[in-house]
Formats: sequence, C-alpha cells, structure tokens
Amino acid sequence: MTPAERLRALGLLAPAYLWLTVAVFLPLSAMAFFSLLTDVPFGDREWAFTFGNYIEVLTNPTYATLLWKSLKLAFWVTLWCVILGFPCAYILARMIRGRSREALFLLVILPFWSNALVRVFSWAIVLRGNGVLDRAVNAVLPWEVDLNLMFSETAMVIGLVHSYLPYVILTTYLSLQAIDDAVIEAARSLGARFPRILWRLVLPLAMPGLIAGAVLVFVPVVGSFMEPRLLGGRVGTTYGTLIEDQFVAVFNWPLGAALSFILLAVVLLILAAASPALRKATP
Amino acid sequence: MIRHAAARAYLGLILIFLYAPIAVMAVMSLNASEFYALPFRFSTEWYERLFTNAEILAAAWRSVWIAVVVAVIATTLGTMATLALWRHDFPGKRILQALLFPPIAVPWLITGTAMLIFFFGVGIGRGTPAVIIGHVALALPYVIVTVFARMQSFDRALEEAARSLGARPLTVARKVILPHAAPGIIAGALFAFAVSFDQFVVSYFLAEPGDSTLPVLIYSAIRKGFTPEINAVSTIIIVVSMAVMILAARYAKFGGTR
Amino acid sequence: MSGVRVEGLSKSYGSALALDDVTLTFSDGGFFGLLGPSGSGKTTLLRAIAGFVQADRGRIVIGEEPVERTPVEDRNIGMVFQNYALFPNMTVAENVAFGLEVRRVPVADRVRRVAEVLELVQLGALGGRRPSELSGGQRQRVAMARAIVTRPRVLLLDEPLSALDRALRVEMQIELKRIQREVGITTIFVTHDQEEALTLSDQIGILKDGRLVRHGTPRAVYDDPQDAFTARFLGEANILAGTVEAQGLRLPDGTLLPGVTASSIALRPEELGVSLQEPATPHRLQARLVQRIFSGATGTCVLDWQGQTLKLTAPDRDLGDLPETGGPMVWLSWAASAVLPLRDVSP
Repeated sequence: MTPAERLRALGLLAPAYLWLTVAVFLPLSAMAFFSLLTDVPFGDREWAFTFGNYIEVLTNPTYATLLWKSLKLAFWVTLWCVILGFPCAYILARMIRGRSREALFLLVILPFWSNALVRVFSWAIVLRGNGVLDRAVNAVLPWEVDLNLMFSETAMVIGLVHSYLPYVILTTYLSLQAIDDAVIEAARSLGARFPRILWRLVLPLAMPGLIAGAVLVFVPVVGSFMEPRLLGGRVGTTYGTLIEDQFVAVFNWPLGAALSFILLAVVLLILAAASPALRKATP
Repeated sequence: MIRHAAARAYLGLILIFLYAPIAVMAVMSLNASEFYALPFRFSTEWYERLFTNAEILAAAWRSVWIAVVVAVIATTLGTMATLALWRHDFPGKRILQALLFPPIAVPWLITGTAMLIFFFGVGIGRGTPAVIIGHVALALPYVIVTVFARMQSFDRALEEAARSLGARPLTVARKVILPHAAPGIIAGALFAFAVSFDQFVVSYFLAEPGDSTLPVLIYSAIRKGFTPEINAVSTIIIVVSMAVMILAARYAKFGGTR
Repeated sequence: MSGVRVEGLSKSYGSALALDDVTLTFSDGGFFGLLGPSGSGKTTLLRAIAGFVQADRGRIVIGEEPVERTPVEDRNIGMVFQNYALFPNMTVAENVAFGLEVRRVPVADRVRRVAEVLELVQLGALGGRRPSELSGGQRQRVAMARAIVTRPRVLLLDEPLSALDRALRVEMQIELKRIQREVGITTIFVTHDQEEALTLSDQIGILKDGRLVRHGTPRAVYDDPQDAFTARFLGEANILAGTVEAQGLRLPDGTLLPGVTASSIALRPEELGVSLQEPATPHRLQARLVQRIFSGATGTCVLDWQGQTLKLTAPDRDLGDLPETGGPMVWLSWAASAVLPLRDVSP
C-alpha cells in the first residue's frame, strides 16, 4: 500500500473505530476501573480503591447461586434452541428449493429481527393465567386445567427460546447450505442411507454453524434480565437482574461493575473456547 | 415422500410457535375487552387511545427520530470503514475485523452498564445524546458486515477500467464503487434503523427517566401494570420493525434480479 | 462386474426432452465414452443409470437385473463426480473406506482393501491427509479409489478430468485407462472433450438433443461418421453437398465425384492434399486460398469454395510456398476412400 493509500484508508477507518473506542472499548475498560472502587467518583463522594467488591462477589453465596442459575438457564435455552433449530435449518437448507426457500427462510428469521421486548410481552399475554393458552387448552381437553405458566421458569425458557431460536436456525442454515450437493450424492452412490449420511456427513459439516449459533444464544441469555423479569416474576431473579438492580435500584455501581466484569470474563472464556468454530462459521 | 410431509408439518409447527404469540397480541389489541375477556368484539378503541396518550406519542417520536439519526451516522461511518476494509489487505486488518464482534457478542447488559458508567465519568451522562452514541456503536458492526458482503460481488476490473480512463479516486468512488455498494448501504441503513428502534437494554440504562424511548416506556408500563394500549403500541412496533426488516432483506438480497 | 443395457430410455423435464428413446449396450469390462455438446443428455443418461434421475420410460439393466425402480443406494455402483465430492470432514483413508463401512466390511478387511486401492491409484502414503491438503490430480485419484474399492458392478464417471489443467489431464487419462484395465469394471464416462473420448474409450456413444446419434468403436465412428453432426463433432470435417446423378455426386461448381451415392459427404482436413496444378484424379476441387496458418509441424489452409469455408491440414513442409495471406486459386484433392458419405439425421 502506498503512503497515500494508507492515509486514505486510515481516514476512512478512523471515524468508525474511534466511535467504537469511545462507546464500547473505553467504557468496558472504565468498568474494570470502576469495579475496583468503593463508591462512584462523581460529585462530592468519597471513594478509594478496593478489591472489596470482588471479594464480596466471590464469597457471597447468593451471587454464586445466581450466576449458576443464569448459566443453567442459558444451558437449557441453548439446548432447546439447538434441538428445535437443527431440524428446521436442515429442512430449509436441504429439502426445499427455489423461491419458496428464500421466502420461508425470511419468514423464520423475521421475528428475530423484530422488537425483542414486544415478543416477550406477547408471550406474557399468551401464558398468563386465564389467558389465551389456558383457554385454548381448556377448549380442547375435557377436564379443567389451570396451566398458568406465567411467572415460572418454564415461561422464561419458552420466551427466551422464542427470542433466540431463529438465530440458531440462521447460523446452522448457513453451514448446511454450504454443503456441496455432490457430496451427499457421493455418499448415496456408495450405498449410504439417510441416518448414516446425517450422522457422518451432515452433522459434522454443520457443526461450526451449530456451535456458533449455540454460543451466540448462550452468551446473551446468561446476561438476560428483561425476559426473566417479565416472564419469571419472583422466580425470575437472575445474575442479569442482579446487575440491573445495582444500576437502577440500589445504585451500587461499583458492585454492579464488578458483577458485570465477572460476567464479561465468563463470556470471553466461552467465546475464546468456541472461536475456532466461530471463525469457520462466519463468512 | 413421507419424510417430506413430516418435514412440512415440522416447519409449520415452528412457524406457528414463532408467530402465534405475536398474532394473539395483535388480535387482542383489537378486542374491545380490557381484560382479554372473550367473546371477541372488534374495536379500535385502544389504538385511538394511543393517539391521545402524550407520553407514548412522545416516546414513539423520540424512538423514530433517534433511529433515523443513528441510521445516518452509522451508515456513513460504517460505509467509510467498509470501503477501506474491502479494498486493501494490510497488517492488522484481521484484528480490526475481530474488533467488530464485541458490540454484538458481549451481552448488551454489560455494554450498556459500562457505557452508563463511562458516560457519567466523562460528563455525557444520561439522555438522548448518550443513547445515540450507544446505538451507533451497536449498529456499526451490522452496517459494516452488510456493506462488506455486498462489496464481495464487486468486480475490481470495473474500478481499474475507470482509472485507466483517467478517473480520479473520488470520481471512481462516486461513480463506480458507490453505485454498486448502494443496495448494501441501503440494507445497512435499514438494519441500523431497526437495531436502534428495537433496542431495549442499552436504552434502558442510558435514557433519561422522563425522556425514554418507546421500548423502555413499554417495559416500565408493563412492570407497573398492564393496559391494553401497550398491546396496541406493541402491535404497531412489531409491524413497523418487521416491515423495515422485509425491506432491508430485499435490499440485502441485492435486488434479486441483479 | 457386469454389462449394462439401457432400452428405450426417455426423460423429459416439463416440455424439454432430456432423453429421447435411448437404447445402448455397454459391454462387460469395457470403457465406454458418452460424448456430446452440453444439453445433449449425456449427463442425464449417466445419472439415470446411477439412479439420481428417474426415467419416465424405458429399462435399465445392470448385469441381469432391471434397476429402474431400485434406489441409488441399492444399485451397487461406483461414481466419480466432476468436482470429486470428497467428504471434507474425513481423511483420505476414511473417504475411501466409507463405502466399505456402509457394507459393514470388518475393520481389518477394510484397512487392507483401502491400502490396496490407494496403492493402485499411487497414493499409498497419503491416507492420513485431508482433501483440502491435496492437489486436483490427487483428489481425482482419491475419488476413483473411493468408487472402486467397493467392487461395484459398474463405474460411472461424470466429466472426471474437466476440472484439471491440460498437462495433468493428459497424464490422468493414461492413469485412468491403466486403472480401469487392472480392475476390469464396466466403466461409463461422460465428456464433452472429443479428444479425451477418443483416447480413453473402447466404445463411444454420441448424443445430440437427448438422442443417441452414433455409437461404435472410436475408429469406426471416426472413419464412418454417417451424419454431419458426428462428422463435425468427432474430429473436423468439410461437408460438401450436391445432387446425386447416375454417375455420381454433382457438386454446385460442376465437379462430378464418381461412384458417390450420398447427397452430402464429409472430407476430413487431413485427407486433403493441395497443389497449384490440376491433379489427375476426379476427386478434386478448385478453391481460393484465404489464409495459410503455421502451427509448427502442421500447417492449416483456410479456403473459400463457392462461398463455403473449407479447411485442410497437412505437414507444413508439404504446403510448399503457398502464401500466408492467401490469394491464389489452388487445387484440393483426396483419395476416393476418404469420401465419407452422410445421411440425414432428423433432429
């Protein structure tokens, strides 16, 4: 690259990346700094450096329990997304051809791209006691049932799966689509039937997409608070709601920062572990 | 053929799962009863009430306005960055591309709270400017990825032909590169709009309590207690965001017949 | 090992006729080439024999067994695809062993047979590599190995060499022939490259618009094309047409070719001789030299005769002092045995 080109490239790149630095990278670093304070350094407040927040987080069993709860929630949601999503992606990628495939794919992805809050809210409407779901089930079954799934772990899982399922379908679809038709035909010409083709060829080749999707579901769910609050009610306290509280209710920002940072560490660990798969799956 | 029928059924079930709650919400927004009591009686009362609810209208307007500003900024910055990334291979390019991941991959809870802390620290504090700064950062990766994908189909030979005919870099950019990138840019702008308009988490932390965006308002309203107007405005939001995404998808398909 | 026979095979896609009543026998152990322009149906025919395409009408018999209704998986065929279609997530050895795995061959036998066939294709040391680490030629051999290790009844090759560059192609043609001879499986391959078809095939079939136009040994088809399409498709040909009279064929410029009973004939460029003096034989024509092209050992003359372009190839030294930019009227002559009578092939 000539010096002139280098200068031009720099000029083109600088604004965007400067923005990202100011809006994302500096704040994340600031959060690290914050987590080591006793109080917010604004106004006239007294503050000092301390590891107290981290000690608090690491020794207080409540926090560990909540983190574990969030991790479990994320695990179940991810599992359901993968189990439900893979067949859907397979059908879309390998069993439908032509224009209808594009249209159906868009149809599946569309909810994912619409407002998440509203989607969760719509589930609240469906699942509440004496709500639509209850009435529908009661209309079908001969005996009285009070499902009232609202404000339960089940409700949270349903809402979260609904939110993130299209994401898994998307990433898996991309991987599956990339499989050369001829490879499948070759397997058939060698005598393999569907189960074997699925197990020995399709699944391994779709794995990067599946893993990418799973990770990109797992990570946000671990930090979710909006869905647990709206659908879980009192049962819906998670690590995410805990962090939220520090900033909107309790105003213990340093503690919130410490909690956030620990979550960030967990997230980065997961992302690092899955990065080979992520790299293969993203174009 | 049995497999195919089962496949169709499965796909149908998934689609029902994905759309049913939204459909229910939309239908209920047109139900006269305040408490979902059946039988269903058609009524546009809740929508009419919306238009007299000053708070909701203000928040809606703010959301749209912010989303437009975010779209403009993010698209401009993002397109510029993409042009540099697409054109050249240079040391550090990989790293730069990797740096686009955090806004998407890191949970918005963490990013949002971090932004809150930092903005307070540097004096920006809460409010609309903070929201805009935050939204642009979240939207940038989407714009860059979209425009970048579109530029993959650009034939370098076109650029070389233009230069061999004497065109200066700026002219080449204007007359050859940008027209090709246009569908990608439009799609990116629409994505940016959608990302900002639908954004809840970051807005939740960065918005001024009195001047919130629509999603944040809805959230507080739900927590306080349900009113059917929320139903109505939610239906509108979902329809709007889906419409925007369908448009974006058409442009992201890059014209289809091209 | 078995022979293959198709009878009256027809297949249409909507209103397009991909295969039109094709009947052909592929002899046991032979190397059969299907040749034709794109859209001729040759690939459709191959895929129908494989089982990826269901014919609308007709029979396909492998050995003694009719297989039109049998699914691909049960036909016990071996197939090599145009881009090899190697399984990217498996090693070379695993790729080759796949068919044996499907047939539940015990592990020890599997290992042995995989090693044997890799030796056969001269890739013995590469069993542990992945397809992405191999060159085009190596991938081609793995594809072959994978297809033949299961000892299929018939081997089907879909343009097996078209993805390779020129030099490699020639080398692989020889390899392919050698492997086929050693293994002895009935082999049917599809190509659009006539030189390749001539080199590899024991028997050739020429398809056009879904119909089998000509078949036979390469030499037989080359020496006796029987129709204009085949004459032009396999080798080059000058087609001359005229009216049949009692003594022979009368060409538009008045020349009478005695003893010729067909209304159009083909003359291969290499069978023509050129001279400035009128030759004694009745098999001669006068034409204007348009261009003389120098191609090293051979030379080509492009001529204009009655508005039609004719071509002649000969060793360059035999073309004497003929000018490169053309100009003079010259005489073309040929042996009576070089006349290839053509009949009409209805489209």
